[in-house]
Parts: sequence; structure tokens; C-alpha cells
Amino acid sequence: MRSLLFLLALALPAFAADTLHIFTWADYISPETVEKFEKANKCKVVIDTFDSNESMYAKLKAGAKGYDLIFPTSYMIQLMVTEGLITELDHSKLTHLSNIDPAVLDKVSDKSMRHSVPYTLAYTVLACRSDKVSNPESSWSIFERPDVKQRMTLLDDMRESIGAALKSLGHSINTRDEAQLAAAQEVLLRWKAQAAKFDNEGYKAGLDSGEFTLVHGYSGDLWQVAQENKKITLIVPQEGTIMGCDEMVIPKSAPQAALAHAFINHLLDAEVAAENMQWTGYLCPNTAALKKVDPEFLSNPAVTMPEAIRAKSEVIQDLGADLAKYTKVWDAVKR
Amino acid sequence: MSSPRRQEIISTLPSLGWLIAFFALPCLISLTLAFRASDLRGGVGDGWTLETVKSLADPIYVPVLMRTVGISFITTMVCLMLSLPMAWHMARCSVNWRNALLLLIILPFLTNFIIRIFAWRSLLHPDGPLKHLLVWLNLISEDALLLNNIGAVMLVMIYTQLPFAILPLYAAAEKFDFHLMDAARDLGATGWSAFRKVFLPGVRQGIISASVIVFVSSLGQYVIPQFVGGTMDEMIGNKIVQRAFTDRNLPLASALSGALLIMVMIPVLMMTWRERRARA
Repeated sequence: MRSLLFLLALALPAFAADTLHIFTWADYISPETVEKFEKANKCKVVIDTFDSNESMYAKLKAGAKGYDLIFPTSYMIQLMVTEGLITELDHSKLTHLSNIDPAVLDKVSDKSMRHSVPYTLAYTVLACRSDKVSNPESSWSIFERPDVKQRMTLLDDMRESIGAALKSLGHSINTRDEAQLAAAQEVLLRWKAQAAKFDNEGYKAGLDSGEFTLVHGYSGDLWQVAQENKKITLIVPQEGTIMGCDEMVIPKSAPQAALAHAFINHLLDAEVAAENMQWTGYLCPNTAALKKVDPEFLSNPAVTMPEAIRAKSEVIQDLGADLAKYTKVWDAVKR
Repeated sequence: MSSPRRQEIISTLPSLGWLIAFFALPCLISLTLAFRASDLRGGVGDGWTLETVKSLADPIYVPVLMRTVGISFITTMVCLMLSLPMAWHMARCSVNWRNALLLLIILPFLTNFIIRIFAWRSLLHPDGPLKHLLVWLNLISEDALLLNNIGAVMLVMIYTQLPFAILPLYAAAEKFDFHLMDAARDLGATGWSAFRKVFLPGVRQGIISASVIVFVSSLGQYVIPQFVGGTMDEMIGNKIVQRAFTDRNLPLASALSGALLIMVMIPVLMMTWRERRARA
């Protein structure tokens, strides 16, 4: 009955208050946060989800209209800005912008937040089964240990895995230098000989069940598995790693740009951000909010990434035509 | 036009129309894409080019191609070897038995393909029941791995394709006149040579259809190597997925699909040609 009423409400926009249409990843905003916003602004929030930046981009490119606020990853935002899909933000409506951690802004391409405001920060890390791997070293070189042979996984993602190999050599993950990429290819071939699989999805369950003893994956996911299984330990490679930053942008076609600005400002509010990030499990780079969260949440290594490692970590950037150099290495590795 | 001919055309029209709209046209569209320029944004650019098709000559595709053909060939051979005695037995046993066996062959199709692959993953798990049993029987060592290697890919491939070999072979064996076997034995043939010289030629048509069906559907597999294979077991299907999703290069993915389509067409055309020659 309730869902019927909901559908009815959707079908009668003339009688409904303003509606904000958000396009984001699944389970990425806490329902409480949304409810508070709806009450304060006497509006309705409709959330539509995507599962990859590419599919979101393809949908927009194909002419999808009506979205007011989108949460892409920063490399995709560069592309969307060059394609002229994103509007410039009106900073006078974003009073909480100063809450954003300047150290994080330093890592993304839009440092002055002209088009985008950072929402969450996730790291690519490692996790192992402490009962099967003794004294795990905090380094990418752990992939070369003989005792994880055929029991470890690497991400089936060109930029992530080549990036990890580049980081292990002390190079930038966005390098365009072919000699550095060739060196990374050698490292990756050694890791591949050790790996059981290239995997993006099954590694969580595989680590939990003991099929794998060492996996390469995303901090939020691995943190969740580690909460369930106490034998799982997160490892942050000291050479630095890849940071993923999802940001908020307003498309040029947004019908409710003012409401979208209000929502961004709402998410930046310290109280709201603290509640929201503890619900999603992802770090919001919000200095004021981090003072208000539960200390247990801060024990997440992805949240309290040591400053030295964070300084060495990078965000994936769009490389344009030079992406072909990475494809070449990846092809040679995966043949 | 004679009336039976017209009737034939009218009765095949719906399925022909369906195939043109949902098979021939999409194939043509994807083949056309192979000749368009690629666009870094993941779309299809303007203009026409032969570069993408030429790039298929790159030696990096050789191992993937050899592996795809090799895995498909071995799968076909093993499926034939396993299903020939099965088809023989089914054709000769009582009706009740035959129906029970047919039901058992079709039963796995009632569950989802992906779920069956995941069941294999649990079965072959490094701490799974099969591993423990084999270690207990002293057949394998403690660190042997049953999962994420070429052996697991072959096992699941054969498991998946076996019904597609049994069914056409059974259909052929059912029509085979088993009195011919008795006649061969009367004339002094041993059991094995009667099987080889009389039964096998008798079900030749079934062997050909079973081989083509199994080989062709094996060529296009990518889910099995992805879920139970390791880092060295990619097939051409996995390459196509990578080109389309990670590399955002639709024309190259289309060119590879075109190459796969041609590989698939060869055995099918050979079968049609043989059939036509046999009829003539």
C-alpha cells in the first residue's frame, strides 16, 4: 500500500513539492540524511543508481535529462567537464565548503571546487588472513611471498593493478613514461605468476572463506569483511596507494540546480556528514565532521590513513590518448 | 511458384523474420562498428578505418586464440567420448529407464547456469569437501589446488557442454538399427570393431551435430574461465569483455566479435556443406 501511494505521488508531480533527482552509487547516502533534507526543504528526493562511471556517462551522453546531482569518480569528472556536461558551482550557496579537508583537495584535479566537491575518499589496500599469512609486511612486495602463491588475487582493473606495480617501484600511477610502464609490466608479470585470479567481486567472499589468503581490493569493502571475520587483517602498503575520490557535480541540464546546491551544502554539514559516513562506511573528507564520529569508526585504516602514506598516494587521472600505453601493458600481462 | 513451396515460405516467415531482426541485424551492426574509428570516451567516432581490423594481426591474440580453440577442441572430444556410450545405452534400455535418464540430463537446466558454476567453486574450494577427500585418499598433496586453473576450466566446460553432446547423439542412436550390430557379430566382427565400423558410421550425423554444437558454444564461453579459471586461462570471450568495458574500445570489441563469428561460422558451414553433398 505504501509503495502504491509512493507511485501515486510520483505520478502526480503537479501536486507534489519540488523533487530533487540524484544519480549515485547504491547505498551511498544514509536514509536519515535524506529524510532530514526533505523535511527542512519541503521537497522530495528521488535516488537513481549506477554501477560504473562508464555506464553513468553513457546514459548522460545518450541524452538522459532530469538529474540534478551526480556522484562520479574524479577521473570521470575531468572528462565530463571537457565534454561540457557540468555546470559551475555557485560557492555563495555552499556555506560549508570550508569543512572540506584541504589535503584531499590537493589530490584531486579540481582543486578550487569550480565544478565538483569531494564526497568520499576510498583507498585501494590489501587484506590477508592472519591465520594463514604470518607477519604480513606493509608493502606491495607481499605479493611476492612464496606462501601466498596461488592463494592471492589482484584487481581485474587495468589502472588499479598497473598502478600498484608502479607504486611498488616508486613511480606515479598516472605516468606517461613508457620505460616506467615497461618496468611495471615486469613486476606485474611476477605478481601474475603468483596470483590465483584477477578478481573485482569474489575476493571478499574468497578471503572470508579462506579460498584466498591475500587480496587486493577496496578499503570500504575489505573493512566490512574484516568486521565480520576477525581473522582478516587490513594492510596499507607503505609505498603509497591509489585513492578514489567520488565527487558531487551538477549537470548543466539540472532542472533543480538551486535544490542541488542546497543538498551538497546539507551533506557538507558536520553533523550530517558524521552520521552519513558512519552509515555508508566510507570516509567523507570533512574535517569538522571527523571530530564528531565514533572513535571505533576512526580505527578503520582507510579513514585514519597515516599521513606519510596518504602523501604518497594518488588519484587516478584520465590520460586521454595515453591510456593506450596502459592497455598495451595490460594486454601483455593478461595474454 | 508451386503451392507447397509457398506454404513452406509462409510457415518459416515468422522465425526467419525473428532471426533477421534479432540475430542478423545486430551481427551486421556490430560488424560495421569494427570499421568505425574508436572514440576515447567509450563511444564510436566518426569516419571509417581499416586499422582496427588490421590490429587483430597483433601477436598478443595468438595465445588467447590458441587457448580458445584448444579448450573448445578438447571439450568437444571428451564430450563425444563420454556421450557415445551414454547414447548407446539410452537407445537400448527400456522406455522407463530412458525417460528417467533424459530427465536426469535435463534436470541441471532447471537451475541457473551461474549458480551451478558457483556450486563447482564451493566443491573445488581449497578447503572444500572434494579436496579433503582426495587428500585423505592420498591422491593429491595438501597444497594441490583444484580451483582457478586450466583443469577446473576444462572440468566445468565438459560438465556444461555434455548434455549438448548427449542429446543429438541419443537422437541419432535411437534411429540406429541395432540388428546391424548382431549381423556384424554374426559375420565375425569383435564387439569393438562392430562398434567402430558399424555403430559409429550409423550415428555419423549425430556425431557431426554434437561436435558442431559443443565446439561452437565452447568457443564463445567467457563466464567459466572468469569464475573457475586462473590468471592464465582467458579465452577470446574474456578479451572481448575487456575491450568493451575496461578499454572503452567498442570498434575493437566488435572486430574481435567478428573474428569469433567467423570462427563459429566455419564449422557450421562445413556441416551444411557436408549435409548438402550427402543429400546430392
